[in-house]
Amino acid sequence: MQEQMERLPASLTLKRFHAESTPMTKPTADHAEASPTKQFFVSMRTRDINLADAILDLLDNCLDGALRLANGNSVDYALHFVKIELTADRFSIEDNCGGIPREVAKNYAFKMGREPDDDRDSDTETIGMYGVGMKRAIFKMGREALVRTRYGDDTFEVPITSAWLNAKGWEPLPINEPTEAREKLAEPGTVIHVHELYEGVSRHFANEAFENEVRTAISEHFTMFLQLGLKVELNGKPVEPVLVEVLVSKRDDGPAPFVFQKTIDDVLVSITVGLNTARSLGTDNEDDADFEGDRSSATAGWTVLCNDRAVIVGDKSRLTGWGDGIPLYHPQFAIITGIIEFRSKRADKLPVTTTKRALDTSSNVWLESLVKMKEGMRVWISYTNQWKNHPRADQSNYWEDARPLPLKAAIAAVVSRDAVRKTGDQVEFNPQKARVLPEPPGKTPSSRRIVFSRPIEEIRLVSKMLFDVDDEKPGIIGEKCFELTLTKAKKRDG
Amino acid sequence: MSAASSLPYRLRPNKAVDRELFLSLLTRLAPSLSLEKYQYIGLGGPFLEDFRLVHARLGVSRMACVETELEVHKRQLFNRPIASIECVHATLEDYLDGQEFEAPAIIWFDYTEPKGITTQIERFARTIGTVPLGSVLRVTLNANPESLGKPTTNEISVEVDDSASADRKQKPTTQEWRLARFKERVGHLFPSGLPADGMTHKNYGLSLLRVLKLAVEKEALNFRDRRMVWALATHYKDGQAMVTAALVVCAPNERSIDDLLQGWEFHSIPDFPHRLDLPALSTLERLTMESSEDVRAKLSFDLPKSDMGEDPFLVFRKFYRIYPHFSRVEL
Repeated sequence: MQEQMERLPASLTLKRFHAESTPMTKPTADHAEASPTKQFFVSMRTRDINLADAILDLLDNCLDGALRLANGNSVDYALHFVKIELTADRFSIEDNCGGIPREVAKNYAFKMGREPDDDRDSDTETIGMYGVGMKRAIFKMGREALVRTRYGDDTFEVPITSAWLNAKGWEPLPINEPTEAREKLAEPGTVIHVHELYEGVSRHFANEAFENEVRTAISEHFTMFLQLGLKVELNGKPVEPVLVEVLVSKRDDGPAPFVFQKTIDDVLVSITVGLNTARSLGTDNEDDADFEGDRSSATAGWTVLCNDRAVIVGDKSRLTGWGDGIPLYHPQFAIITGIIEFRSKRADKLPVTTTKRALDTSSNVWLESLVKMKEGMRVWISYTNQWKNHPRADQSNYWEDARPLPLKAAIAAVVSRDAVRKTGDQVEFNPQKARVLPEPPGKTPSSRRIVFSRPIEEIRLVSKMLFDVDDEKPGIIGEKCFELTLTKAKKRDG
Repeated sequence: MSAASSLPYRLRPNKAVDRELFLSLLTRLAPSLSLEKYQYIGLGGPFLEDFRLVHARLGVSRMACVETELEVHKRQLFNRPIASIECVHATLEDYLDGQEFEAPAIIWFDYTEPKGITTQIERFARTIGTVPLGSVLRVTLNANPESLGKPTTNEISVEVDDSASADRKQKPTTQEWRLARFKERVGHLFPSGLPADGMTHKNYGLSLLRVLKLAVEKEALNFRDRRMVWALATHYKDGQAMVTAALVVCAPNERSIDDLLQGWEFHSIPDFPHRLDLPALSTLERLTMESSEDVRAKLSFDLPKSDMGEDPFLVFRKFYRIYPHFSRVEL
């Protein structure tokens, strides 16, 4: 027996030990409490998310409401509004997106986590799959809340009080009905008020820079919905969408972005990578070029959309391929914009995680897409490299008839070109292979860049001598100085 | 320091008013904060006029004048009006990085270069957390929207009310073009939803002050031992348009500075800066305007409006007390 046990794997040994020891004990009337405390739940849950994202989660819920209301048909977002108020002592969010059905409120909406038998949204393009957003957002902000909702003609409210939060048990929350007209809602929708804000939260809500951060986040992450007519107000002021676009020339042989489209595992993947501006590359602002920190516009880098929601905006990290087989992000690449969209009716097929603002980077659909994303990036990295050594050559002429277009329009504009490769449901256009990208004049592969610094007094002196003005651009002065010396060198040589 | 900024104050009346407003602010704060014990740090130009005045009005004697250009620095050493001014040949940033502040300071970030505006704004914002409580910080920024660059004529279209160029849909207006550059330049500090109208000569200063305020507010979130009280903001133009903003770094529960500023006739915040756009006047015009209740009736002509579009009569009425009067003196 002893021998046999020694040959068994460790886990089996342990099981056997339990099996043998069980008959030695007898059950008692005592129980060891194993349910999580509310404090634990609240503090752990709310650490997973930052304050701005918690607000975006609530906005996500509103949009999911609008999708459910449309019941599988396309949503007219122009009919919907969301109003958000941030002040030092309270938070509120109000929408007219259909409200919460009483049965859902009773059984699911206030549960901490989603029940497996909750089969809402099985055939709509929502991305709210985990049922933690509302509670997590409320507990992140404060200790008193009221959720008032109207579904059809049924209006009721659920208060969450600090007394309930402090109590040890998981008593169900009360559902109250309005007795006065002012407690009713004009149309189906939901209002959430949070009071007794935590000190840090209150400081953030009173801070203009935080308000600007939230406004920017909404304008970026919900840009598609805002463009479709959704009205979002933050502290009484409408939020405007941020447009993420790439340049497309009208000419068939003019410069155009990289484009790729394919259905992978029930998910329609659309990719475009191109330039967001045709301006010369940053060399006009030599002094600005070596700023510490990142000031590139949000639209530079990658924007990832899942069913119209921008999950990631302007990413310049390894996540979207930078520094992974291609160079790390650098200000030289600030003119490159990539947009990728995943679209599916099956929310669980989309490569997003529970926070809805992060990607599931191990999913097949993501990995396969990433290969194409990098292919597109390489085209433009090599383009910026080519032009980098010709700082004063003007590339904007080549782009004169180009207009900025969003993802869908950019793909539509490019697929009509002859150079597009179509195989099955896959569409691909590579501007480098199609030879539609401008090359700098007099380009030689042996060009090298010369960079040096001199005191401004000396630069002014040389500028005055060469150009009769003392404020010519340092780069141009340097170039002319080199030309002079080169002529001399050639003379002596020849 | 660019050549333009060494123009004497007498050729820049609006800048002279701006400086007088700042001195007036310091005079108001002096008794409460004991400003005479402070250190004053700034850029003096070749003549160090600001230093002379700060010393004369407030009795501040610990002063540092920072200058990057060697010849100007040597000239400052020659012109130094008060022996206690330390003239330093360095950038303001390097000088501040090397300072351990023992006493509160008055620091004037008198930037004139439009390039690197974001670095300037971030540097100012960062300083709020590194100076002792009670410090007074002031920044001047170049508010000329043309500094964002000039689009070539084939890059832009024009639009006035409901008429527009044929290529309006493809090409931006000058303001939209500038807005895109502005967004690139200020990055995450961009005020969300800022319209292209914020890039006109009239409004660019306000947009820049908005960015400055957001940068300071963002930085202030990191500190619980202090809060920022905005004291003075101005927008003026003598040749180049400039904006300025000044704040006092206060303890979180300290309200006396707020009260002191609320009662000051020139108290202004970055959202509503004073527009200093004073008319050029003859001595007779000035004396008439100062001594009359109904000026328009006395003057039988209109005064011209300037670029900033302010009513010259109203501006004069607001600032006549500190409007400088320069005249020729033969030495």
